[in-house]
Amino acid sequence: MTGLRAYLKDHAGILPAALVIGVFMIVPILIILIYSFLAPGDYGGVKPEFSTDAYQRLLFQNDLFDQLVFDPAYLKITFRSLWIATVAVTGCLIVGFPVAYYIAGQPEERRNVFLLLITIPFWTNLLIRTYCWILVLRDTGLINSALMALGVIDAPLTLLYTEGAIALGLIYTYIPFMVLPIYAALERLDLRLIEAARDLYSSRWGALWFIVVPLSMPGIIAGSILVFIPALGAFIAPDLLGGGKNLMLGSLVQLQFSAARNWPFGSALAMVIMAMVLLCLMLYARNLRRGGGGFQH
Amino acid sequence: MKTAVSIKNLNKIYSGVPPVQALRDATLDIRDNEFFTLLGPSGCGKTTLLRLIAGFEAPTGGSLHLFGEEISALPPESRPVNTVFQHYSLFPHMSVLENVAFGLRRLRKSEAKAHATAQEMLDLVHLSDFAARSPGQLSGGQQQRVALARALAPHPRVLLLDEPLSALDLKLRQSMRAELKRLQKETGITFVFVTHDQEEALAMSDRIAVMSQGEIQQVDNPARIYEFPENRFVAEFIGDANFFEARVGANEEGSANYHLFDGSKLHGPQGHAPEGATVTIFFRPEKARLAQTGLAGEVTEILYLGNNTDYLIRLDQGADVMVRSENHKDGTALAETGARVCVEVDPRAIRVLIP
Repeated sequence: MTGLRAYLKDHAGILPAALVIGVFMIVPILIILIYSFLAPGDYGGVKPEFSTDAYQRLLFQNDLFDQLVFDPAYLKITFRSLWIATVAVTGCLIVGFPVAYYIAGQPEERRNVFLLLITIPFWTNLLIRTYCWILVLRDTGLINSALMALGVIDAPLTLLYTEGAIALGLIYTYIPFMVLPIYAALERLDLRLIEAARDLYSSRWGALWFIVVPLSMPGIIAGSILVFIPALGAFIAPDLLGGGKNLMLGSLVQLQFSAARNWPFGSALAMVIMAMVLLCLMLYARNLRRGGGGFQH
Repeated sequence: MKTAVSIKNLNKIYSGVPPVQALRDATLDIRDNEFFTLLGPSGCGKTTLLRLIAGFEAPTGGSLHLFGEEISALPPESRPVNTVFQHYSLFPHMSVLENVAFGLRRLRKSEAKAHATAQEMLDLVHLSDFAARSPGQLSGGQQQRVALARALAPHPRVLLLDEPLSALDLKLRQSMRAELKRLQKETGITFVFVTHDQEEALAMSDRIAVMSQGEIQQVDNPARIYEFPENRFVAEFIGDANFFEARVGANEEGSANYHLFDGSKLHGPQGHAPEGATVTIFFRPEKARLAQTGLAGEVTEILYLGNNTDYLIRLDQGADVMVRSENHKDGTALAETGARVCVEVDPRAIRVLIP
């Protein structure tokens, strides 16, 4: 009795956190998990019957004779999603690292202004910002009309409704998630180390590669994870910029809960996304323990 | 004797409002294979001069030659010069061995060769057992020795040391002095050492350049710097000194009388100033002694220093002087506070400063 009371007294402080995590994370995930093992209701929702159909549908389909046959359609969507998310991470890294490096090198007052500018796009609705990209990319859009006016091309380039457009939209959307953690890592970097590297026969680029990049690796990895996870499940950019023909996992999930009315399948897809993300995080954690991406101070 | 670093009319002005002249018309030759020290208070320009040699700063004017080659336009990585930094600046994400091998690897030595040389360098600074550690696991003194090994490993023509001992405690600092001196002899590399610690400079250097307010005040060996400072700044910055304004009196056979303005008189060597001129003369506190004859006064304060005792004496004519003296062999003091004493100054100890 006294043991329990002492335990509660010692751990009362984490109660609010535990409550928030429980209500807003554990419970919803459990609901999704349970739904994914039920049968779809006729008008959306679920019927309380146990079923593994949702998971079967990921790889198999019933043919005309009601036999299960292998169907790679959803697997393809999965791989396309992984591919586009990876492209988005790479793009964010290529653009985000120099931006973060530049900001970290500015005087302190100016840094805060830049950081504010980085976050400004968040003040506008994501849907509207993504629509704007349609205006830029479409056949009669900004880029095509400019290029045609300059006489560079005769016919409009197909920019919109491509995988490239989706990746561009994702890069645009998630770039602050890459810039901010890298900036945080670079801000702590001791600039005298760069001088030491130059003194020891490193060029500018050598110092960047051997000193700055390894020491900002925690920020690079954190930024990559922060971009990869939402990019994998994104559906606004794939829907608007991919035109719905280049489906990604996120749009597929959204489809199951709306037009397709197959909640269990949508839930199963969500669980698959979560499993993939967890796998990536576990690989990262293992790498960290080995000291591969770890930061020692 | 070959010249390692030749500096001519070197200037450095940091832009800003107002601009700061960190180095003014510095002219200096540092000889090959010498332990050369840049000594001065903070802000005197000694670190700026070091950074100009290393290539971290570009001079505003003047020339900078390394073994005859003009280097002021070269980036740091193209200069055969390495630096031991004040704050060590070891790479935290590399092992001690990788740190030491870093310069050699950038010079495109094979990994095996670089690691072998790095291991030798770690032997040289007695840290061979620490090769696999990360710098964060070492003490300050050990980190300093790694920084030294790292800078020596590529065998630079000149090694620059930027107050490398200032972060260490006293005992460690003293042992590192001997260590640095030994390393300089063993490697035969020219050392350019920056410090604000005059004792350090006197103990280690072959020659010293004393700097103040961006200008070089005097370049000489330690004994000359201490015994024959060329101006008041040098005399004041290194060691202690009792200064007097005096009028040059009658000359006789190479010596002269100096009439102090409080009315007393000191006998000293003849300077360059003619009879009747006003000059500054000084003597070191350990070159005077408490005696029966000389300038009379009263002991106002006693500072016990262990090996010596400093006696502050107010002369009857008004001036304050300091006398540094050993205690009696039995350990008792020469005089108590308030005692009447006389200060006797050996005429050979009197220095006349050129005004």
